Amino acid sequence: MIEIKNVTKKYGDKVAVDNVSFTVEDGEIFAFIGHNGAGKTTLIKAIVGIHDFDEGEILINGKSIKDDPIACKMDMAFVPDNPELYENMKAIDFINFICDMYDVDQKTREDNIHKYAELFEVENVLNDQILSFSHGMKQKIALIAALAHDPKILIMDEPFVGLDPKAIFDFKKVMNEMVKEGKIVFYSTHILDVAEKLCSKVAIIKKGKLVKTGSMKEVKGDKSLEKVFLELEG
Amino acid sequence: MNKTLRLLKVCLSQDMSLFKIQSNKVNHKTKVFVPIILALVLAGYMGGYMYTLLEQFKPMNQQSVALSLFAFMFSIVVIFEGLYKASSLLFNCKDDQLLFSLPVDKKTILFVRMFKFYAFEFLFNGMFLGPAMIVYGINMNMTWLFYLLSIIALFILPIIPIVISSFFGFITTYISSKFKGKNLVQTIFTMSILLLVLYISYNAGSLMTVMTNNAQRIEDFITKWYYPVGAYISLVKDFNIITLLIWLLINIVIFVISILIIGKVYFKLNSKMKSVSVVHSKKPYIIKSRSRLVSFVKKEFSRFVSTPVFITNAGFGLVMFVAACVAVSFKYDAIINGLASKMEGVSPDIFMNYMPLALMGLLAFSAFMTSITSSMISLEGKSINILKSLPIKSSMIVLYKVITAMVIMIPCLLLGDIIVFIVFNFDIVSIICILYATILLPFIAELIGIMANLKYPKMDATNDTEVVKQSTSSMVSVFGGMFLATISIGILVGLVQTGLSNGVVQIIFIIIFTILAGLLWLRLTKISDKRFDEIQV
Repeated sequence: MIEIKNVTKKYGDKVAVDNVSFTVEDGEIFAFIGHNGAGKTTLIKAIVGIHDFDEGEILINGKSIKDDPIACKMDMAFVPDNPELYENMKAIDFINFICDMYDVDQKTREDNIHKYAELFEVENVLNDQILSFSHGMKQKIALIAALAHDPKILIMDEPFVGLDPKAIFDFKKVMNEMVKEGKIVFYSTHILDVAEKLCSKVAIIKKGKLVKTGSMKEVKGDKSLEKVFLELEG
Repeated sequence: MNKTLRLLKVCLSQDMSLFKIQSNKVNHKTKVFVPIILALVLAGYMGGYMYTLLEQFKPMNQQSVALSLFAFMFSIVVIFEGLYKASSLLFNCKDDQLLFSLPVDKKTILFVRMFKFYAFEFLFNGMFLGPAMIVYGINMNMTWLFYLLSIIALFILPIIPIVISSFFGFITTYISSKFKGKNLVQTIFTMSILLLVLYISYNAGSLMTVMTNNAQRIEDFITKWYYPVGAYISLVKDFNIITLLIWLLINIVIFVISILIIGKVYFKLNSKMKSVSVVHSKKPYIIKSRSRLVSFVKKEFSRFVSTPVFITNAGFGLVMFVAACVAVSFKYDAIINGLASKMEGVSPDIFMNYMPLALMGLLAFSAFMTSITSSMISLEGKSINILKSLPIKSSMIVLYKVITAMVIMIPCLLLGDIIVFIVFNFDIVSIICILYATILLPFIAELIGIMANLKYPKMDATNDTEVVKQSTSSMVSVFGGMFLATISIGILVGLVQTGLSNGVVQIIFIIIFTILAGLLWLRLTKISDKRFDEIQV
């Protein structure tokens, strides 16, 4: 479970995230939406322990990201919006490196790397340098590295950007499989129709403040998510 | 023209943040304090050096030689520095996609990059040459005209060294673009040029010694063969507006012509450097688990070997150490007899007695002047978020980086040690002390480097050279290393003069540096988590 309690993050005088609270339960796909600069990435970086925050508390499966970041991070995997991977490394070396950091045993990593490399059709390029990859290919490698250690919580910042339609389709299936196993998928997105179909819960953030959150049904009612979002943003 | 200036302004404000210290109000003063103190020490050192030279030339009434020597030597330093930097500052930068997509001439982009290169060298030239010029002016009671000419000279003198370095960078890039392993070829070629320049300088040493005996001839040599300095000295001695205009014009024209020449193939060459030969390996990929330490060191090492300026910068000192050990071991008689002949009452045997201390001093100099960790955090760039999201303590990440640097340094230093141990029959105390120092001294250098980088991270560089050669952390590490190297030699010489035996001198030496290492380690463990977590991209 992810518990965000009254989190505030400031950059100097500018409040990027303002007293935000919500909870993501196990087995949920949670969409986090908002316009550019609304504070999505800032909050995501605070959840995964990349950025500190000024006030509030973030609990990952009951543990505080501030007090016990290592234990929290062991449960999570993070896929950033722009996959800045180690370009001088081979793709397989990068994935192995991430697995080593998460102490993934040989069998689990073999099973997962084979499974996801096959799914994303990148098996034949895993021995190539990341430098030669397109944005989409890098995104696929980032996803494989994130999934290879079997995270309980998958957190992503606009994960579909750069992926080809087949990869998006396959990845949506992976997300659904994960939540069936009781895991959490939390991601930010601008593709509202996908979020509407895929996610069980949603939060809308505007200028750092949470303006609406709840189950998809509660938030959108009889309207489309796009319409609700545009009304709230208007 | 307006477009060029706007582009220049944007690029300079983006990249020339060398002295822009990112900090909050609380620690701003401490962050700014260290670079300012180091700059002042450097200025004092340069001024003092100029004063010493002036005193030496005073009896011959040839003080202007000191000024021409200074101006000439710093032109050489700029060329030497430029050889490291040119190809990576001009080619294959991170902002290539943005700049080349703009509706501006490709030569304009080259101009902007060469100007950035020039601007950095101007700053360093100013830091080194400026104080020396002031001391000269005060000492010689020069008029305002001298100061005006010297300010102009600070702008003008780096131009031709920049052009020379850029041509070398162009040639290096051109040759390496022909090969599949571009980075490797670029590293080897740059290193070869540096060693060649050093070899020529070494052999020219005797020529310079002869010339020093006749001060006027040095000045003649410099002013005749190196026009930019020659014209400056001539203007200082006898101002002439025509000479001034010609001096300005020639330098600017050379700069423009070099842009036109390199600009002809700049885009093509840059694109070639960017192209990656995609070779699909037919071998099956290997899924292998390793310990965190081994995996991390492997990752850091692959970053090191894929960055030519990083290898050249770190490798040069290490290669020089091994070369010095080989030279001392196999040309001992020639070197020592030469030195002994210049020192009255000193027999070659005395040098032999002090060989272990000489090796210790050389080791200290090489270790302290090689800082790999000073750019290791900055080189992460935006990918530092990968590290920050991993379930691993920040202090361990920092430690792994220090270990990687030591893994790179120690084998080279050990190779030099072993060569000397084999040729010279050192006693067991010396061997143990030197082997211990071979681990201890790089450890200190790398602790200083990583602490400097944690304090002054530069995460938004457009190329690796800005981080490795032109960042505040690399400057702090270099000057800190110079300071420690000087202190080390001072300690060794001071202890020898007390009449203690070699063994005792070495033991005291390593005890002092063990204490220093301990203090630095305590400090690092205290600050590393906080400082690393504070870095935001």
